[in-house]
Formats: sequence, C-alpha cells, structure tokens
Amino acid sequence: MIALLSSFDYDGARQHRGISTPGANRLAACRLLRQRVGPTRKNPRKSDDGDRPSNWPVSSRVARACRARYVCPLFALILAAVSGCRSSELSTRQGAGGPVRGGALVASLRSEPRTFNRYIDNSAAADATAALTQAKLVRINRKTEELEPWLAERWTASPDGRTFTLTLRQGVTFSDGVPFTSADVLFSFAAAYDPKLQSNLGSALRVEGKPLQIAAPDPATIVITLPAPFTPGLRLLDNLPIIPKHQLDPALKAGTFADAWGVTNGPGHMAGLGPFVVSEYVPGQRVTLTRNTRYWRKDASGGALPYLDRVVFEIASGQDAEVQRLESGSIDLLTQADIRPQDYASLKRLRDRGALTLIDVGTGVDPNVLWFNLARTPPARAYLQKSEFRQAISYAVDRDAIVNSVYLGAAVPVYGPVTPGNRIWFSDAAPKYPHDPERARALFAAIGLTDRNGDGMLEDASGAPVRFSILTQGGNIRAQTATVVQEHLRQAGITVDVVALDFPSIAQRWQSRDYDSIYYGFQFSAMDPAMTLDYWLSSGSLHFWNPEQKTPATPWERRIDELMQQQIAAPTLDERRRLFAEVQKIFGENLPGIYFIAPKVSIATNPRVAGAEPALLDPKILWNPDTLNVTDGAAAPHR
Amino acid sequence: MARQPRIASRRGLFVRFLLRRAVAAVALVFVVASGSLLLAQIAPGDYAAQLGGDPAVRAAERARLGLDRPAAEQYASWLRRSLTLDLGDSFQYRRPVRTLVGERAANTALLAAMALVLATAIGIPCGVVTGSRGGFLASVIRTASLVLLSVPPLITSLVLVTIAVRTGLAPIGGRMSASRLIVPALALALPLAATLERLQSQALRDALHRPNMIAALARGVPKSRVIWRHAWRLSLGPILAIYGVMIGSLFSGSFAVEIVTSWPGLGELMRQALMSRDTYLVAGCAAAGALFLAAGVLIADVLHAAIDPRIDTERTT
Repeated sequence: MIALLSSFDYDGARQHRGISTPGANRLAACRLLRQRVGPTRKNPRKSDDGDRPSNWPVSSRVARACRARYVCPLFALILAAVSGCRSSELSTRQGAGGPVRGGALVASLRSEPRTFNRYIDNSAAADATAALTQAKLVRINRKTEELEPWLAERWTASPDGRTFTLTLRQGVTFSDGVPFTSADVLFSFAAAYDPKLQSNLGSALRVEGKPLQIAAPDPATIVITLPAPFTPGLRLLDNLPIIPKHQLDPALKAGTFADAWGVTNGPGHMAGLGPFVVSEYVPGQRVTLTRNTRYWRKDASGGALPYLDRVVFEIASGQDAEVQRLESGSIDLLTQADIRPQDYASLKRLRDRGALTLIDVGTGVDPNVLWFNLARTPPARAYLQKSEFRQAISYAVDRDAIVNSVYLGAAVPVYGPVTPGNRIWFSDAAPKYPHDPERARALFAAIGLTDRNGDGMLEDASGAPVRFSILTQGGNIRAQTATVVQEHLRQAGITVDVVALDFPSIAQRWQSRDYDSIYYGFQFSAMDPAMTLDYWLSSGSLHFWNPEQKTPATPWERRIDELMQQQIAAPTLDERRRLFAEVQKIFGENLPGIYFIAPKVSIATNPRVAGAEPALLDPKILWNPDTLNVTDGAAAPHR
Repeated sequence: MARQPRIASRRGLFVRFLLRRAVAAVALVFVVASGSLLLAQIAPGDYAAQLGGDPAVRAAERARLGLDRPAAEQYASWLRRSLTLDLGDSFQYRRPVRTLVGERAANTALLAAMALVLATAIGIPCGVVTGSRGGFLASVIRTASLVLLSVPPLITSLVLVTIAVRTGLAPIGGRMSASRLIVPALALALPLAATLERLQSQALRDALHRPNMIAALARGVPKSRVIWRHAWRLSLGPILAIYGVMIGSLFSGSFAVEIVTSWPGLGELMRQALMSRDTYLVAGCAAAGALFLAAGVLIADVLHAAIDPRIDTERTT
C-alpha cells in the first residue's frame, strides 16, 4: 500500500505556476493570436512552432513543409486561432463533437518493463500495463474517491460489515473469448496469497495480517469475509487485478507462475478483462497495446469502449528524455505524469503557444520526510531520540525558503504526512511548526544542547558538538532540499552531513538500522489511512523510524496503534475522521518524521489528448484508460 | 624456391599473432566481467533490499536469487556457468543475461559502427585538407576540431538533443529508424572526427616532408595526386594504430550518449542494472563492452599489419 519511491522513477518534484482553466486558456489564446498576427506579417520566416496545429509533431513532414514554405499570414492566423482554441477546450473535457474513436495515444515509460505479471512486480511499468489490460472487481474513482462497481456490478454487506456478497457482471469475457466467472476471482486470490510467490498484492489484501476468506457459491457470486472489522471493506479489492484461471492455473500449480506473462512470452498471449491487450514488446523501445475487442464496458451512449485503437508506451531513459519527447510532440503524456520544477518554464512556453496542455491537479499527497533512527541510536547521542530535538529542527527549518529556492514556488509547507491534497483525511488541527529560530534554540537548550564554547555551534553536556548525518538520494530534488535543511540547521548551531546515495544503498542502511536520519519519499497508493496501516502501526514494516516493533516502544505509539485500530472499525466516516485527526495530532506532537513541503502536482499532455481526468495518486492519468481519446483519432499516421 | 618457406613462416607468425590476440581478448573479457560482478556484489545494498518493507518478501527473494549465499560462493557459481557461456539470469527481468545483452549489444554495435563511419568520413578528408594547405577553410576546420575535442561527447549529445527537439530535424526516441540514429551517431562521431582530423593532418604533413614525396613533387607529379594517392597512404599508419583505442573510447562514450539520447543500447541497460544491483546483468554488460573493445583492437591491429608489412607480428602484443 505504500511503496518506497525507487531511485530512477521518481524525482519528487512538481511545479506550479499557473492553472490551465478554460478561461485562462482562452485569454492565452487571444494573446497568442495577437502575438502571432504581427510578426508573421512582418517576417513570415520567423514564424515558430505555433504556426502549425498543436497536434502536429515538430518533426513531422507536414510541419517541416510548412516551415519551408513560409506559411502565409492568413493561414497562420487560422492555425493560431485553431491551436489557441484547442488548448482552451481540451484540458479536462472533450471537444465539441464528443469523444473521437480510433487513433493511438503515445505515453512514455521511464523504465523497461520487467514482466507483465503484476502479481510479482509492482514497478511503474507493470502497474501501468496492468491498469490497461486487467480489470478489478471494484474500482476507487481517483477523482471522487468513491468506490465504483466494476467487474462486480453490485454487492450487499452483512449487518456486522464483515461479509460482502458480490454479484459479478454477466456476459463478460476475457480478451481471448473465455467467459469470466467466479472461478477466476477465486484463482486470483489464490495466486495473491500463494506463499511461494510472496506477492505484494497478497500482503496488501489482509486485515490485521490475516487473509480474506473467499467463497464462490455459484459462477456469478463471490462472498468475501473479512477476518476482522475493517470499515473501508471492499476498497481493499482496488489493488487486485483479476487474472484468467484458464490461462495461469497450470503455471501456478507447476510453480512457474512468476515466469508466466514475461516480456517475451506475454505479448499476444495474455488474456485480460481490461480495455487493451499487449500486442508487442520491442526491448528498449516500446510496448504496444491494442484495443480489446471483447471489452465489456460501454460509454454513456451505449457505444463500445475503449475509444482508442492503440496505446503505445515508449521507453524513455529518465525524465529528461521524457520531457524532451513531450516537448517535441512525439509523445502525448508521461505515464508517471507529474512534471519537475526545472521543466516547467519550457513546458509553459509550449502551453502558451497552444502546443501543450498543463493541468494543475492539486497538492501532492506523497511528501518527502526526514526521519530519525529511533530503533538504534548511539548512547553518546541520545538527544537524537528526543521529540524536543525533532521539534526544534522542525522550527529551525524555513519551509518557505525550500518552497521558493528548491521548488521555485511550486510547493506548500506541510507539517505531517497527510497533506491538504488529501481533502477527506487532512486535519488542520495537527501541530504546526512555522519558522522560529528562537523557539528552536530554546528547545535545544531544554534538552541540554547549548553553545558551551562560544563558537556559535551547539554542544551536548559532554562538550561534544551536536552533529548528525542525513542519508538521501543523490542527484535530485531531495538532495537539494537536504542541503537547504543542512544550511538552516547550521544557522541553528547544528552540524549536518548530507550523504547522497543511490536507492539500494539507502534501503540497505535503513534495513540494517545503520543511519542517523534519512530524507526520502514514500508513495501512498490510497488516500484512506486504513489502507496504509503498515506506516501508522508500530508493528508495521513501513513504520520507518522504528519498524516491526513487538510491542509499542513509546506511549504515543501505543496510543496511535489503539486509535488506528478503532479508526478502521469505526462505523461512520465522521467518527473515522475524528479518530484520525487525533492520530495526526499525536504524530505532530512527537514528530517521528519531519515533513517540510508537499509539491504541487502539475500534469502536461499533448492537446490532442482528451478525456483525461488527472488524479493525485498513481496512475495519475491512465487510471481511466477506456475513456481516454485523441482528438485527431485515426488521422495521425505518424503514430 | 628460397622465398616459399619465408612466406609460409610469415603466415604462421600471423596466425600465432591472431591466436595471441584472441587469448588476450578472452582474458580481458573475463577480467572485466569478473571485476564488474565483484564490484557490484560488494556495493552497499542488493537487489532484494529494494523490494519494499516486508522482510519476508525480501528474504524469499534473496533465497530465490541465491543472494543469501556468500559472495565468493556466488562468484564461483557464476564462473562455472560462464564457462558454458551461461551468464545467469537477470534478477529484474527474469531472463537470461546473454539474451538481454545480445538484444542491446546489436544496437550499440550499430551506433558505434555508424559513428565510426561518420567520424572517418568527416575526419580524414578534413585532416587531409588541413595537413596539405593553409587558408580560411583549414583554419575553420582546425578551430572546429579544437572545440569538439575540448567538449565531451556527453555535452555534445545534450546540445544535439536540444537542437533536435527545438527544430524537429531528427527524432529523439520512438521507433528505430535511420533518422533516429542521427543524433547519437553525430554525438559520438564529432569528437572522434576531430581526433582523426588532428592526427591525419599531422601525419600527412610528416608524409609530405619525406624525401620520396619531395622527389615526386620535384618530378612534376601533380600535388593533388601526391597528396591523395601517395602521401595519404603513407600517413595511414598512425591513424590505424589509433583506431583500436578509438573503438574502445567509442563504447565507453556511447554508454553516456545512449542514455542522453534514449538509444536502446547497452548503456541504458547497464545503468539500470547498476542502479538495481542486478549483478549478473552488470557483469554481462561489462563483458560485452570488453568484447567490443578487444574486437576493435584486434581488427585495427590486423588492418595495420595488412597495410604496413613492416609491422612485427612476432613481437607485437
């Protein structure tokens, strides 16, 4: 439910300098029109990329021909108006004619797929492929956070809320024509819970560490019984893609399930219930998915879904390559969609020319965190364990400076793991730590850390300088933030050593408890705190500062454990929110993790992309792949 | 009658020379692959360390991959398999390293070959021009060479990528095509072309000062004929000698260029392997790089020996 952000698929950085509302874009289009008419008339040779329709790639033959022939002013005027209007209409809704059928959408993939089997791989590539090729029993709508019927068309719950009877949709078939039944659901759970596989999906499908009980009284009915009260109930199932028993059962029995649906033996053979099927994989280059002609969903007017004929994932090595391709028009969107501060300026220029759509999605829900090693600290530096020490650090760091200098204004200060982006669960009553160096000094002094030799730096009772190290990921925005924190703490009298490492090294140091502090990020896969118990409970493996405790090490962790147990069983949302607000308050008072900022999430797509409803959780755009479409439909031969 | 045994003996020497080189190439590949494997093994963290927070999942994965065994035992096991050309399976891709490396090595070889052709096609004629005459054109070429020599291929590729993206003159990424090869090949070729130009220029100047060339000019042989037919051939020795080294730098340089320009070669694969501690894949990529280097040096030596009979294949190592 929470994933460590791997070193090469996430930069933790977004930028926000403008909101792409239809109104704002109309204004931009008018400005664009005025700008274009003048210079084009005076010197047609200077007409830039804006003189072509925004959905033409920069490198297309047509575009080059237009440049070569010095587009006439009238033509430029018409095209400018078209492209300007395009950017104003398509940021979040369809064009005037409704969704267009056909065509291909090209998205980048930041790393090579290792397998198409989501049960054994939770990489971004496997996740994106599963989102397009598989379907779940129920779906959490990433925009509304509501639970929606999917393969299960309806369900009823027992009075105690622990047993759910789901009625499966009738007439649904896999992409290979085999009917979907409850046997496939049973098989999917069996694979997820298979002890030999150790699937990450199985570990997420548990309540209090125990698996769900599944029964199938008939081919169209599934009965799910939770081992303990768990108010989010069927939300757990949003993690589980349903896979075909007829295709994978032999592999599971033979112990070769992990090798099934590999990148070489998967394409063309994987049966799925999703809108697309994997048809081709070219190593190092692309994964092509084509329309599943047997897909079961229809649009509001009863038309077949998906709208797109193909989705092509082009493999790009790193974010720089992705952004270059987005700028050149050779891809439509980034699968791991949010953009970095340093890319914003150039993307905004393209947005202003109508060649790109920028959408402000909101405040990110996966902020980076500085946590101290509360599991093992050298006795000589026992102050690292004290909550006053962490509170003082939180006061000493100027979050606004990080927002402005590192994130170029595209972030907001935060003080806990739940950000304002999580509208349902964020509590404004949790303690805040505005920049206050005097208060920081007072808190340091309260635990015996003062400047004893007049050098401006703090020493402990034995006269040893106060010093600790921060491990963080090198070469990205986390390292920049850690450097700012280092400087602010130097001003507060503390020496900090920033150690930039790669992800495996950080993971190894964390697992062996061999560190003072770590500044890193976690990816939440759900907004509901009940789905992230591994983080909140002291026994959780992702309770980063002191994981897998046999019994809670501190009274406040014990209290959080109690509150979270009550929270997941509370009958009403209001009650759950009240309990979770108390959890956030206790967390804020004890600060096992210090949060500084949450980036604002902006997403860029080619203006030809329509039907996108970007969300804060991954996959930010591809969570509704069947209703995505491209405005030029099949008329895009270059794709 | 007296010359026949001498010819046979020379052929024998040449075969022995080739054999020595082949053995050296195998040793180089072995040492580089072993060194890479051991370095990747002793680097902090392993592949399983990245698999989230559940210790049971990590332990199961370590057991499956054999990472719970001592490093020496893992190395010995890899060594035994590599004798049969089985380089193990990639941890992350669950596929044989040999297959993965083979897929990418072909692309890297294509890129390197194209860069070499471009560098030769640009560098040699430019070197002949600057080595045989002065004037504005020669000054421009010399200046351009110095600039390109002082800029690493990584920077050149960044500049070319930016130009390609801004102008749309060449695609970056996407389907494999000849046009997609332009940017990475140029990024690699331009610094090499500058190197060749400088070497060719100096070598030609030296050749033109040899007595036989001066005599030819004195006899009235046209200068262009002297330059292109006689002096140029004489000047090829030092150029060919550097080709082996150039091929080596081509592959090391191509790794960075491939990443910047999204060329699906060994560079990106090796980066991913290193970042995820996919140790057998690291060793496989390094072995492929070493193989390319050894092959390049061997080809250059053979060409050198074929062009200049004075090369002593007995003593050359």
